Amino acid sequence: MKLLRDAWLIAAKDLRAWRRDRTGLLFGLLLPIALVTAMGFLAKVLYGGGGPMGRTDLWVADEDRSEASADLLAALRAAATVRVRPGPEAEPLSVEEVRRKVEDASAHHALIVPAGFGEELAAGGLPELRMIRDPGRRLEDTLVSLALVQAYMAISEGRSWPAMMGRQMEALGLEPEQAQAVVAASESVRALIERFLPGGDEEPEAGGAEGGAAAGTGFDMSAFLTGMVPVAAEDIQPPGRPKELGYMQAQSVSGMVVMMLMFGLVACGSTLIVEREKGTLTRLLAAPVSRDSILLGKLFFSAAVGLIQLSLLFAYGELLFDLATFRDPVTLLVLMLSLTAAVTGFGLLVAVLARTQKQAEGVSTILILVMSCLGGAWFPIQLFAVPTAVEVIMRLTLTHWAMTGFQNMFFHQKSWHDPATLPAVVVLWGFALAAFLAARAIYHRRLASAS
Amino acid sequence: MAADFQLEVEDLRFRYGSREAVAGVSFAVRPGEIFGFLGPNGAGKTTAISCVCGLLGGWQGAMRFGGETFRPDLRAADRRRIGLVPQDLAVYEELSGRENLLFFGRLVGLAGAELTAAVERALELTGLGERADDRVGSYSGGMKRRLNLAAGDLHRPSLLILDEPTVGVDPQSRNHIFAALERLRDQGRTLLYTTHYMEEAERLCDRIAVLDRGRLIGLGAAAELAEQAGVPGADLEQVFLRLTGHRLRDSA
Repeated sequence: MKLLRDAWLIAAKDLRAWRRDRTGLLFGLLLPIALVTAMGFLAKVLYGGGGPMGRTDLWVADEDRSEASADLLAALRAAATVRVRPGPEAEPLSVEEVRRKVEDASAHHALIVPAGFGEELAAGGLPELRMIRDPGRRLEDTLVSLALVQAYMAISEGRSWPAMMGRQMEALGLEPEQAQAVVAASESVRALIERFLPGGDEEPEAGGAEGGAAAGTGFDMSAFLTGMVPVAAEDIQPPGRPKELGYMQAQSVSGMVVMMLMFGLVACGSTLIVEREKGTLTRLLAAPVSRDSILLGKLFFSAAVGLIQLSLLFAYGELLFDLATFRDPVTLLVLMLSLTAAVTGFGLLVAVLARTQKQAEGVSTILILVMSCLGGAWFPIQLFAVPTAVEVIMRLTLTHWAMTGFQNMFFHQKSWHDPATLPAVVVLWGFALAAFLAARAIYHRRLASAS
Repeated sequence: MAADFQLEVEDLRFRYGSREAVAGVSFAVRPGEIFGFLGPNGAGKTTAISCVCGLLGGWQGAMRFGGETFRPDLRAADRRRIGLVPQDLAVYEELSGRENLLFFGRLVGLAGAELTAAVERALELTGLGERADDRVGSYSGGMKRRLNLAAGDLHRPSLLILDEPTVGVDPQSRNHIFAALERLRDQGRTLLYTTHYMEEAERLCDRIAVLDRGRLIGLGAAAELAEQAGVPGADLEQVFLRLTGHRLRDSA
């Protein structure tokens, strides 16, 4: 009994201390709450509260202008994995216009419905579609392929099914050892179609089309599906981009670099708090130097560390992942300086606002993680069609602009002054200036009121 | 003609919000003297010193240095006339003693041979020469205190302000600091010294100002203060308690 009483005494003391430790509370309660809120909110927006995938943009140019092509576009609009652009009310785009979108990286997939599509379909044939695409966008390619199969099936009301299967069996060569695979694939496709078609909400049968391989056959369902609808693909990618570089890989490297830089530079900015806590700031303030030179000194220090950190990380990324990091050194330098300036400003703002180093660490950790999540440093949130309100929140984070800049450089091979990248550079410097001016104002106000 | 006083402070007032921390304090420090600042916790000593050092702005009153208007909160050149030895150990533990002194020397405008000479002189004054290139983090508390003193006096300021420079040091280091300060006095240097230790004030200070609740309640040599307090011949501790009372000031 005494054992338990003494244990409770110690636990009660610890609970009391924990309740009074604001940093502990911040990390233990507020940080998880902030992250759960951000992630839960995003998941709900991106995945529609239970849908299998988010929608990716598919630009379309309809050269056929037939009833069948209109039906195809309507079926694509009903698909769960793509958002057809332009919208039904908007002005249709020409082939050249959608091609330009893929070329300038404002679109990754553009579908062209060629003239004669409707006629051939009515004749029971398999009219070929054309797709202009960025080959680095592999995830989106799968989403678009799924939507196309679904749409094609819907508009042909099953008439194209034998032709589609025949096409695939022909491709497979109808060898006996592959017969079983074809049967398994047929079953899987059927299950998939039933699921996607209106009213097809039932759960897929066991061993159905959920995975990339039909159970027990080693059959590659993704490849099979992609080949069912005849599509002539035209790949467009910037000449300098390494062939193996995927969008997600570039996103991951950039995202981690941006997030870790923020952690590093906030720590640098908080040396101002360390100086205050240790008393060395008093000596600096009593020295015959301008107050601003102290703040600028911290800025220069953070900027130097940031540039060293970024250079090392990108050099390492180049060695490991072949990102073609130094293809355009001027753009790399401009983006590194812009990001470093913005993050340094953010770090200084946290440092002058926080009363203690612990407080700075707590607040900055929450802000960095939430900004990284919302800004796309963890996963490519910008790929999804998010509501306007979420887009506004994303654009308020400096991580969003940093990711935009680095993705434009690494993946889209754009220069710093390209119209797609320049806004990111300008916004990052805007962040930097605003944060530094705010930090300076608070710093001077604090100095005027307390030693 | 040389000014009679190195530093003159007239009717100095400073408020933290609604609380008046310094309420009309006037005093003057003569050239070549060690001027003591005594007072219980919350008396306003540190606030007054912070105003003199330029750490605080927005004060009221007037300050003159060598007869000229003195605004250390606004003018960096005025701050150069002051050397501060803060109560905190305001040195960088990651750097060596010499690196600290070189940094603070450059900060006050020293360079080249003048800087090197100043650093060597400061190391000699504080007896840190042998450990000058070791990281300060490996120093004892007393050594850090001495380095703290050395860093404040590098540019031989016209007025060296020491805020409780012997807090938490062993008797050996304290004696070393006393000896260093007495050497500075012998060189004709002017010092403003705050302390809680009465025997330090009696030993070192030519004149002492006693502050309480933001007001100056006594000023003069130790014997003069005893007269003012109505306890002639009493030691400084008795005088201090007589002037400031026995009530605890923890909540001040």
